[in-house]
Amino acid sequence: MIDPKRLFFLFLILCGAGVVLAALLPRRANRVVLAWIGSLSSLTILWVGGAVLLSGQAWQVDLWNIWSLGPMVLKMDRLSALFVFIAGLVFLPVSIFSASYMNLPKYVKRYGFKSFGIYYHLLLAAIVLLLVAGDMLSFLLAWEAMSIFSYLLVNYEHEKEDTTKAGYLMLSLGEAGTIAVVLAFFLLARTATGLDFPALRAAAAGMGQASAWAIFLLSFFGFGVKAGLVPTNIWLPLAHPAAPSNVSAILSGVILNLGLYGIVRFNADLLPVKDIGAGAIVLIVGSISALVGILYAVIRNDMKEMLAHSSIENIGIITAGLGAGFIFRIAGLPALAGIAFIAAFYHLLNHSLYKALLFLGAGAVDYSAGERNMDRLGGLIRVMPWTSLFFLVGALSIAALPPFNGFVSEWLTLQTMLRSVELSSMGIKIIFALCAAALALTAALAVTCFVKAFAMSFLGLARSPKASKAVEVNRSMQAPMAILALCCLLFGILPTYVIPVLDNTIATFTHEHMVDELVPPFFTAPQGNARFPQEFVSEFHDLGAQVGRTFLPGQGLVVMHRGTEHNPVVYAMSTSYTFVVLILLMGGSLILFRVLTRSRKVDRGPVWAGGVRQLLPKMTYTATGFSNPVRVIFEAVFRPVIFDEMRETVAEHFLIAVKSQRQEVYILERTMFSPLARLGRWLAALLGKIHSGSVNLYAAYILISLGIVLIIQRLM
Amino acid sequence: MWEWVWEGIRSGIVTTAYPAREETASGVSPGFPTDLPRTFAAAGEASVAASCCPTEALLSEDQQVVLREPRCIHCYRCLRQTETPLAWQWQGNYEWAVSPHPRVELAKKFGRSFRRSLHLRILDAGACGACLSEIEQLNKPYYNMHRLGFFVTPTPRDADVLVVAGPMTEHMRQPLLSAYEAMPTPKAVLALGACAIFGGVFGTSFASMGGVASLIPVDILVPGCPPPPLAILHALLALIGRVEPAACELNSSSPGGERGD
Repeated sequence: MIDPKRLFFLFLILCGAGVVLAALLPRRANRVVLAWIGSLSSLTILWVGGAVLLSGQAWQVDLWNIWSLGPMVLKMDRLSALFVFIAGLVFLPVSIFSASYMNLPKYVKRYGFKSFGIYYHLLLAAIVLLLVAGDMLSFLLAWEAMSIFSYLLVNYEHEKEDTTKAGYLMLSLGEAGTIAVVLAFFLLARTATGLDFPALRAAAAGMGQASAWAIFLLSFFGFGVKAGLVPTNIWLPLAHPAAPSNVSAILSGVILNLGLYGIVRFNADLLPVKDIGAGAIVLIVGSISALVGILYAVIRNDMKEMLAHSSIENIGIITAGLGAGFIFRIAGLPALAGIAFIAAFYHLLNHSLYKALLFLGAGAVDYSAGERNMDRLGGLIRVMPWTSLFFLVGALSIAALPPFNGFVSEWLTLQTMLRSVELSSMGIKIIFALCAAALALTAALAVTCFVKAFAMSFLGLARSPKASKAVEVNRSMQAPMAILALCCLLFGILPTYVIPVLDNTIATFTHEHMVDELVPPFFTAPQGNARFPQEFVSEFHDLGAQVGRTFLPGQGLVVMHRGTEHNPVVYAMSTSYTFVVLILLMGGSLILFRVLTRSRKVDRGPVWAGGVRQLLPKMTYTATGFSNPVRVIFEAVFRPVIFDEMRETVAEHFLIAVKSQRQEVYILERTMFSPLARLGRWLAALLGKIHSGSVNLYAAYILISLGIVLIIQRLM
Repeated sequence: MWEWVWEGIRSGIVTTAYPAREETASGVSPGFPTDLPRTFAAAGEASVAASCCPTEALLSEDQQVVLREPRCIHCYRCLRQTETPLAWQWQGNYEWAVSPHPRVELAKKFGRSFRRSLHLRILDAGACGACLSEIEQLNKPYYNMHRLGFFVTPTPRDADVLVVAGPMTEHMRQPLLSAYEAMPTPKAVLALGACAIFGGVFGTSFASMGGVASLIPVDILVPGCPPPPLAILHALLALIGRVEPAACELNSSSPGGERGD
């Protein structure tokens, strides 16, 4: 066993080497070096993170001791390790993908590759350093570095005006968030003896309620900007289409997680929220984010913009899970809190996997067809079968369909929401009910969204010449998608092996292990387990809960929450057995079908196209058409502005052309940012009035303000 | 919405009892002339009498005038003209569907499985709208074809019967052929109304080929212009062998009904 600490330094050396090589090597070699160094360093952190996750042995490196501020510490506990592991899981395929993807003519012609390679490795290093930072100073330094390098990568196509604008918005909102985080840290550090996390934790224990609330709000807002929660997520749908697809995958798969890491580190670990209202805020913000995100995801036709909105949705679901966890924890229901946190972390892991997969898929489509608008794609399954397959896996996962991973975590989140019946406060129960309804609607709309995404891009006829000329991408772009798709499947069918790891992770801040609440030890029972006596296990033996006991390790393959005597099984499922049954059923029915129809004559005719002479691609269903019902139903949310332009003949009775244009302003921009901007302009105009340009008047202002200052000085 | 429920309870079952019992309500059918053939004194007189028919449904053979029912459009001209009074009776029945095949053969085509579940694809080959509005009546509570297991489907992929209304216009030739090709076997074609049988008042022209049978084999023909809903029901029932098709002659050598000539 290699010491994780040494491997971590190897990782830093690799990143440094990546930067140096990217700066020195010519373009051709540079891409290969990026793929190798990037994937090697990802493998290193995968190993480091995995080792800490499994063994639970946290390691710590003390860096310099800064005068009056205390030591700078790097420390990896299981919480950090989980996020580092996820980062590695995303960076590994993305690094391989980047090598071919950055070969796109639109990048090669205008932009250098050196800067990309340098920023890429620096970003990787900054992200990992941020996650292992054990004190405030290094955390904030790494946070800033991460913000800046991610901005630089998003703004890769800096000659485009849209990209630059999106980049600035991302940077400015991110910095606003950082300021809030810094303020929260200052408030927390006010009474602390040092800036390292244990000192802050100790200081937080004696914190007053008002300060606790202020810290909670500041940090939740600050980290919420990076995570993409409402109301500060307007940068996200702009940044994603602007960024190269591989950077988008990192943005969604890793960087949004960092915001959640901040929320968890702050509000669950350093200063655990004590007020149930704070938990409710997290829950509500999460649910609203989920709903708003998916509503816009359904109606957007740009593949990457759709995925960006869908990221907002998924982050919302995770946040809602965290909020539920906070509330249960404060209400004194540790078992439910543990399950809620496990559900949230599971969803976080899953989201990183399938969103990275989908972004790589969108990148592959963009690479090969040169088009991301689903209205102008179509029919790609015939020319890009492998990409289609992997994209389909991603779509099924994100639409929460078994046996893929999205199902497990979303099912757990919704089940957690339903357990709110055990709470005593009626108000909180109502909030839970509404949020659960919003999440259920979200889940349903997610299916619509990804049926559209897959069907309109890959099925049907090619609706543009570009789409009809697409070819399958090369193996080095298929392999990363294959890795992620395989992970999606594995994390979907083996939840009982993932949940104990996640349980250990959340135990770093809840200090209680809840794995038995969710995965009953059917394989190892009943040796000395009071909660799971022999009778209980044998009751489920007949149902097949112990199938595989003799040859499989672990606790069992069934996810089950056990209630009281009155209600022995609250909920239960097993995707592992479902997967086996699914395969047997599908295989069986296929064989049965073949056998039954063996002697039948099969007639093959042309596709029925409504009897038209020639089915033109422009006649077929488009993405806009598919999502139109949603657009009409939720018109109150979208508030579209429609411009109709009609041309009539001389007689003025017959329209010869109708052109209807529809513009939608993002709801948060409409309701939050536009009024704020108007207020700012109004204030500026008001202040502008006192600037007449006359020097005498300015002298008078100075005199008056001097007088006021003197008076105040005198009075105090 | 509650009024609907109340109205439904108040009015009770209004659906016709056909085919279990004869439908006797007045006005269910425009009818055909009866009491044929009629003998005239001279052959010339017979041809004059027959010439009043706009669609050549009346045919003079020597001194006799015979009726070719599939061509009748219930215009009453033969009844109203005074020069050579025919003084025929009009019969109000509706069981008109004619088939080139006998009942046994029809029943064999679909077999027992389709007796209570038959899906129709309606194809408008250039109809004036009358036949289609009669089909629409079948979906309404009075005729309610669902009780007999007939359903309309939007795609020929799910259809068992292609119901063609209207003269076979040139523009609908390709769609009709592709719809027929798209249907799975066993499949049948129902020619609905005088137009689909021989071209009706439109006849044949540069734009119309007359009857459907000039393109695809027809299994059952429903005379009438338009045929009343009960006649269509009768045709559908006859198609799956649940009732006997009408015994009237097709007066044509081609197996799928008449070609417009």
